Amino acid sequence: MYRYDEFDAAFVAERTQQFRTQVKRRLAGELTEAEFKPLRLMNGVYLQLHAYMLRIAIPYGTLRPDQMRMLAHIAERWDRGYGHFTTRQNIQFNWPKLKDVPDILDALASVEMHAIQTSGNCIRNTTSDPYAGVAPEEIEDPRITAELIRQWSSLHPEFTFLGRKFKIAVTGSEHDRAAIKIHDIGIQIVRGPDGAPGYRVLVGGGLGRSPFIAKELRGFLPKADLLPYLEAALRVYNLHGRRDNKYKARIKILVHELGIEEYARQVEAEFARMDRAAVAAPAEEVARIAAYFALPELPARDTEADAAETRRMAAMEPEFAAWLEQNTAPHRVPGYRAVTVSLKPIGGAPGDATAEQMRVMADVAEHHSAGELRITHEQNVVLPHVAEGALFKVWRALRAEGLDTANKGLVTDIIACPGLDYCALATARSIPVAQDIANRFAEPRRQREIGPLSIKISGCINACGHHHVGHIGILGIDKAGVESYQITLGGDATETASLGDRTGPGFGYDEVPGVIERVVDTYIALREPGETFLAAYRRLGMAPFKEALYADH
Amino acid sequence: MAKAFKPQVVTANDLIEGDSVFLARSGWVRDIAEARVARTAEEADLLLEAGVVAEAENTVVGPYLVEVGLETGAPVPLLRRERIRAEGGPTFAYAPEGIARAA
Ligand code: SF4
Repeated sequence: MYRYDEFDAAFVAERTQQFRTQVKRRLAGELTEAEFKPLRLMNGVYLQLHAYMLRIAIPYGTLRPDQMRMLAHIAERWDRGYGHFTTRQNIQFNWPKLKDVPDILDALASVEMHAIQTSGNCIRNTTSDPYAGVAPEEIEDPRITAELIRQWSSLHPEFTFLGRKFKIAVTGSEHDRAAIKIHDIGIQIVRGPDGAPGYRVLVGGGLGRSPFIAKELRGFLPKADLLPYLEAALRVYNLHGRRDNKYKARIKILVHELGIEEYARQVEAEFARMDRAAVAAPAEEVARIAAYFALPELPARDTEADAAETRRMAAMEPEFAAWLEQNTAPHRVPGYRAVTVSLKPIGGAPGDATAEQMRVMADVAEHHSAGELRITHEQNVVLPHVAEGALFKVWRALRAEGLDTANKGLVTDIIACPGLDYCALATARSIPVAQDIANRFAEPRRQREIGPLSIKISGCINACGHHHVGHIGILGIDKAGVESYQITLGGDATETASLGDRTGPGFGYDEVPGVIERVVDTYIALREPGETFLAAYRRLGMAPFKEALYADH
Repeated sequence: MAKAFKPQVVTANDLIEGDSVFLARSGWVRDIAEARVARTAEEADLLLEAGVVAEAENTVVGPYLVEVGLETGAPVPLLRRERIRAEGGPTFAYAPEGIARAA
């Protein structure tokens, strides 16, 4: 796994020391809030409704057990015993005191972690596929590319103060689990005409006030050209991007207004003109990074015996069988599976985990997942390398801490942003809405009968809960002092990405679970055998759902 | 017609802790029940001014006025957002107790 080199360590130490001084000066009254705010944001510190909030980077969502344990320690020592994993594959602490933040950053630095590039108008942490390096169909581990981008973007003088934040996501598989089409730049590793891996580059995706699905900028880019090409793409954006109106400053607006052809023409012209060799990553450096992401040595197993044992336990424990079916995925190495630990217990706050739960996940990862954990943009945790023969043991360990909910990808695996319960920008609550919906669909058999269904909830138009790309999306707004929820159907964050369509007028807070139930019941009544919610919606269109929701309104 | 004046209190976030605080007769308090209530526009201006001074003195961050109802005797914010802030935490049982219960 990638480890910071000395340069990174020195940089993080310096930044932490710098911030300690800044906090001291702020507390002593030498810096005003206006002066301090940009400095705290550069270090991941927000001021929310009830407290400061610290957002910590988890590059491409990958964590080691000692890092997870440090998060647990921080939760207990300086917060209220828990943390919130977000759709950006990182973690937020909701209750740190400003005076403690420098100590927290020191603690993070001791395990090579930090809060840099988690806020502000910079290139944010690059996100990736939680099954990176694991998925059987993957061409190449996307984290190598993500790490290259991290190194290139971290201190890039030209791109430290962009017009707006800039998000990049990378996938190495055809099946997109990194939601690349809703990022400013999405990168898919593909094979070129000669079979060698390279990149398909998408641009201009994003949600928020003006949602767009990314468009293709380059069908195939040779690998060595990645950084120069990104630099050209960012440069064109930086030159044109509006700084006078923050709603128009994202690259999606520029691409929309210029048109993808014109934007692409300008990027290609810049790419042709620039000194590409000066920007490209040296081959040795790429090789060095790649070595860190090599598949860990997974001991060969007696796969038949393991599978037989797992089957035997599944026959005895139906709940284990359901979890096995729902929460584990194929691994490229025979005899291994990737396990999704659901942070969506029925009635819980999506993405929240207690310090104790973090420790249990760290322990399980250490003993049974080659020392690796991944955070997913669906607010769950993946143990990427679990031997089939260890699955029952892992399940039991997770179960002891309430981490065994067998609902990955089902109706109760709801994505929800913090919303009005925490967030200063929110217009409505989102977590309690998720809890009410999950309670409504709590029965495991019913969930499995409904099949794959993603519900995504945002507490304001900023769309941190990715509601536009939920199969069912829920957006909470404020309507003359009352929470109102707009419902969208047919959104999709994968390779077949689409934005959901609004059903019509919004619904009151208490109505939402019933509304979702009517949508689901309509689907069940009209689906063809084996047809998923998304497929059914695409076939049927909005009409029957509208009818079900508004006929007697 | 000018909008009818509604009673108001001044709120902000504490500089060090970050939590919601309310301007009281002497200093800032966590409990909105102890907040000073402005009953006229002039009183509200004066209260906010005191808040701004406290921000300049680096006691609090971002002071502003919040409309409240006084039906129960103690001030209760009219907006849900402000009621949630005044409660000091989420509207649901949160962690670790809340998470343990859900699990
Ligand atoms: S979507 Fe809005 S309410 Fe939710 S976390 Fe983002 S900014 Fe806050």
